[in-house]
Amino acid sequence: MNIIIIGCGRLGSTLALELADAGYNIAVIDSEAKKLEALGSGFNGLAIRGIEYDNNILKQAGISRASFVILVTPDDNLNITAALIAKNIFKVPRVIAKINNPSKKDVFKVLDIETINPTELISYMIKSKIEGEPK
Amino acid sequence: MKSIIIGGGKIGFNLLKTLKDRGYNVTLIEIDEETCKAIAEDIDSDIICGDGTSLDVLKDAGINDADIIAAVTGKDEENLVICQIAKKGFNIGKSIARINNPKNIPMFKALGVDQTVCSTEVIADLIEYEFDRDICKIVQTFDRGAMILVEVAVKDGNRWINQYVKDLSLPSECVIVSILRDEKALFVRGDTQIRNGDNIHIITNRATVPEIKKQLHSGGAQNAKQKK
Repeated sequence: MNIIIIGCGRLGSTLALELADAGYNIAVIDSEAKKLEALGSGFNGLAIRGIEYDNNILKQAGISRASFVILVTPDDNLNITAALIAKNIFKVPRVIAKINNPSKKDVFKVLDIETINPTELISYMIKSKIEGEPK
Repeated sequence: MKSIIIGGGKIGFNLLKTLKDRGYNVTLIEIDEETCKAIAEDIDSDIICGDGTSLDVLKDAGINDADIIAAVTGKDEENLVICQIAKKGFNIGKSIARINNPKNIPMFKALGVDQTVCSTEVIADLIEYEFDRDICKIVQTFDRGAMILVEVAVKDGNRWINQYVKDLSLPSECVIVSILRDEKALFVRGDTQIRNGDNIHIITNRATVPEIKKQLHSGGAQNAKQKK
């Protein structure tokens, strides 16, 4: 299965390395060469430097055959733009975007983009740990 | 008519000024507080300091009863997101996006942004226009050059002077629509004679313009001459 990860920060690079080790075909895109270095020499996939939603870059990453596109850049607008292009132009079956700023949640919803909201998840996990303790 | 401008850079600022001068109801959204203050000192208008890609800020700006949205920030992805929100979230009739990188134009169009303005392209067109201005100038471009309206100023040395329109051997993809002579419009027929000083308006496409220029300088009138 082909998966494209856009954004190679801490989350993107970790995800890329783990999925590649698990045997998936991974392509990672980031506009900063430095961030791609985080993948190290052991990364068994494609690392592409370029504008994250550029037509040619996406094609180079093999978007026409991708089953998943994962958007994990720190810029919500970049995640939305790339998600819309992957979903509506290249018809990728599943597109999942990370929400950086929880107040932007409704924008993703209006534009019908599937999301992961780390702030909400972490806050929920911390709360459940606290609530597990006797008051 | 109510319009909202997002982005208070040079383009947003001047757009606000122009629309205000013309009496439109305009609200500007800009994220940088200093920039907002500077604009507020210059122009008496509604200015909102906030993120133009946030639903709450757009609602504050009155997007629910806006007719036109112009997204003119320096970031293409921001402009796209704003236009998408306006369309899908608020059903705005018209959204205009500034595009900084011409490569993004087809993608924006495919995603349904009504109108895109690419400064790079506009400037390239202007330069081209300045180069061509002695012979043909492009008055209006439709659909990125698929159809253009060209104005030809006839002057000394042009081969079209004193020719009848029916005698010109024009390329097939062009139509002469009118002639401006002494500030009056002439509606061209075959027996209209072209005179020195005429401004001829021609509907054609980008690809045919060089051909028309060539005709003006040499070929166009030759047929007529042979007949004489």
